[in-house]
Amino acid sequence: MSPNNTRGWKSGVGLVIFAAAYVAQAPLADAADTKSAVPPGAVPCQACHGGHGEGRTAVNAPRIAGQTAHYIEKQLRDFASGTRENLVMGGIAKSLSDADRAKVAAYYASLSVPGVAGGARPSAALAARGHELAVQGAEARRVQACNNCHGPEGGGAGLSAPYLAGQMASYLASQLKSWQQGTRRNDAGNLMASVATRLDDTDIAAVTAYYAGLGAAAP
Amino acid sequence: MVQRLKEVDVVVIGVGMVGSILSKELAAAGYKVVGLERGQARFTVPEFQSPAIHDELRFDVRKALMQDNTREPVTFRNNSSQTALPVRRWESFLPGTGLGGSMVHWNGQTYRFQANDFELATRTRERYGKGFLDPDITIQDWGVTYEELEPHFDRFEYLLGTSGKAGNIKGQIMPGGDPHESPRAREYPTPPMKEHFQGALFRKAAISLGYHPFPQPSSNLSQPYTNPEGMKLNTCVFCGFCERYACEHYAKSTPQTVILPVLLANQNFELRTGCQVQRINLDSTRKRATGVNYIDAAGREFEQPAALVITSSFAINNVRMLLLSGIGKPYDPGTGKGVVGRNYAYQTMSTVASFFDQDVIINPFMASGASGTLINDFAGDNFDHAGLGFIGGAFIGAVNTNGRPIQYHPVPPGTPAWGKGWKDAVLKHYNHTVMFSLHGSSVSQRQNYLDLDPTYRDAWGQPLLRMTFDFPPNDLKMAAYVTAKAVEIGKAMGAKQVNGSPRKGPYTTQQYQTTHNTGGTVMGKDPSTSVVNRYLQCWDVPNVFVIGASNYPQNASWNPTGTLGALTYWAADALKNKYLKNPGQLVPT
Repeated sequence: MSPNNTRGWKSGVGLVIFAAAYVAQAPLADAADTKSAVPPGAVPCQACHGGHGEGRTAVNAPRIAGQTAHYIEKQLRDFASGTRENLVMGGIAKSLSDADRAKVAAYYASLSVPGVAGGARPSAALAARGHELAVQGAEARRVQACNNCHGPEGGGAGLSAPYLAGQMASYLASQLKSWQQGTRRNDAGNLMASVATRLDDTDIAAVTAYYAGLGAAAP
Repeated sequence: MVQRLKEVDVVVIGVGMVGSILSKELAAAGYKVVGLERGQARFTVPEFQSPAIHDELRFDVRKALMQDNTREPVTFRNNSSQTALPVRRWESFLPGTGLGGSMVHWNGQTYRFQANDFELATRTRERYGKGFLDPDITIQDWGVTYEELEPHFDRFEYLLGTSGKAGNIKGQIMPGGDPHESPRAREYPTPPMKEHFQGALFRKAAISLGYHPFPQPSSNLSQPYTNPEGMKLNTCVFCGFCERYACEHYAKSTPQTVILPVLLANQNFELRTGCQVQRINLDSTRKRATGVNYIDAAGREFEQPAALVITSSFAINNVRMLLLSGIGKPYDPGTGKGVVGRNYAYQTMSTVASFFDQDVIINPFMASGASGTLINDFAGDNFDHAGLGFIGGAFIGAVNTNGRPIQYHPVPPGTPAWGKGWKDAVLKHYNHTVMFSLHGSSVSQRQNYLDLDPTYRDAWGQPLLRMTFDFPPNDLKMAAYVTAKAVEIGKAMGAKQVNGSPRKGPYTTQQYQTTHNTGGTVMGKDPSTSVVNRYLQCWDVPNVFVIGASNYPQNASWNPTGTLGALTYWAADALKNKYLKNPGQLVPT
């Protein structure tokens, strides 16, 4: 586990936020765990991604707090252009100006919250397979370790490779499916499609459970 | 006690790129093939994975992927009057070991030699007259032409998935490619790599001077690719850990990524690792090989009988294997007679450093092993050498492959070698410097050769290979001339300070230059000046084939691997369609 796991988290804050509609939540971001004020563009995000960017499993909205601004801004651009297909996000991203996207991205990059507790505990075999795929890869499938790009313990690396640790398993699985199906094709060099198409459903379940189980690797 | 094993059709010594391709071709044709590899088996997963594979101290400084020179070094001297000493630490060149061979740690720079190179002696005489060359120079024609090799170049590039831009398709010059290249049948299998900033600076400057820049052909791939063997490769991520490292991303074309899984799945092939071949055995006539003897990792000796022996080790080790086996007449520099060890050549590397102001951000770490931009205007015979007093040339390119923290720290001449002054200079220049590589040809010369060392032995008690080499005057003149041209490009780029470092003698093994060791078992038409015929078959022992850059009669202006791949498929074709149908000498003497 990363020593960063609990950095920035103030217990008791934010749990209340999940349920209500975003309109009601706009002022809720707590100065104690944010480094900047909520920009107006981020208000619509909160309904699904939570008041602190912690994500909501029920609507498959990932944790976005602490992803790099570069990554978040690129995703917004790609939702708008359609290289990352998503009905809800496409509409929202299109409604944002370039300046708004940059502000929203910088805001969520500045947040730091722990990961969402992810689903059921995987079986021992599944856990072992998830660990193997994450840190070592699988020669038989010609899949390299996820951590090669996503960083030690899946904590993210550089500007472009998002953290996976503490991300909700259902979201990660949905993305691997999107890479497989071509509804997401917004990375450099089709790398994720190359990897995702070599994984089967068991591998996807294993590796996503593994990362979800790592808890928050707050950047 | 030597244990005699069951005879097989083919034994292959060294399972690198050449050994893998030949084994695959012959196993697929139904022959029983045993591959003997002295190193260990290793694969992308788990051996090449991050973060361990990015250990610069282990791989770059301590050369973890290289031939173990505590057990098997070479000895070196500059000339025959000196006593050679063992090279205890690889620096100048880095022979690999282990499954996949040296290609596991290559940069992926994938060139074709030009048509002119294969007929160098003839064409030099035709263009510049008979007395043009220094009489000590022993360049010769290869005995095979570019036109004959073209389909095999094509096949090799499509095996690797090489990313590039054609400059000449069937005689038609293609914009954006290298107009000097010899005609190719079709475009590269994948488009060129993205150009980094220093490449763009170089390209603009080169165009302003009337030159013809083009993207470096790269076997770190620009996009996903499935090769004709069904192997899938990924896109390179520009991590800057190619040469001296293995690729963790399945993005660099190596035996592991392009062919080994297909070979290992073939029941006709058996891989044995940790097997140190001691010699190729000959029968009493000494004109037929009966197999090989090897010692395994447990120290047990085996005899592996075989109808056909292929040695496909690293170039200098091919030479040593023939010398240890008594195949072919060893070269004698005194008389100029003999062939094994003759025409050892290298590569004449120079550099130019262009230092920019602080506002020019180079980001040298965003690189791959072959993502540069270069020109061939001063390579090979692409410019008129009349009056220059040398042949050959160099490609000039902003082809920097990495910005790794321990080894990459360009500083201007006059900088202190250590201490605060050095540290300050590294900080100042690291991100604001463009390094050109000048990749120069190397003529073979009478005094440069390989033989067995009279004193030093390896861990198995066999004589080491002795290298006797210094830069021929021809090549030093070439380096000075081409470096001056490259300095002009650096200035045209707008650099504040440009320093050219033309290669100078004497040759030293203590400074990294390149692992492009060539010659020693050269190919040709005449048994008195070559070890193997045009099909890479031994003149003296027709059931031994020797395949490697050791076949090159001299070295050209480009990295040798592309040409070696073409020779490999050329030899595979001759083996399958000629030799194995009717074993015997393929070229009458």
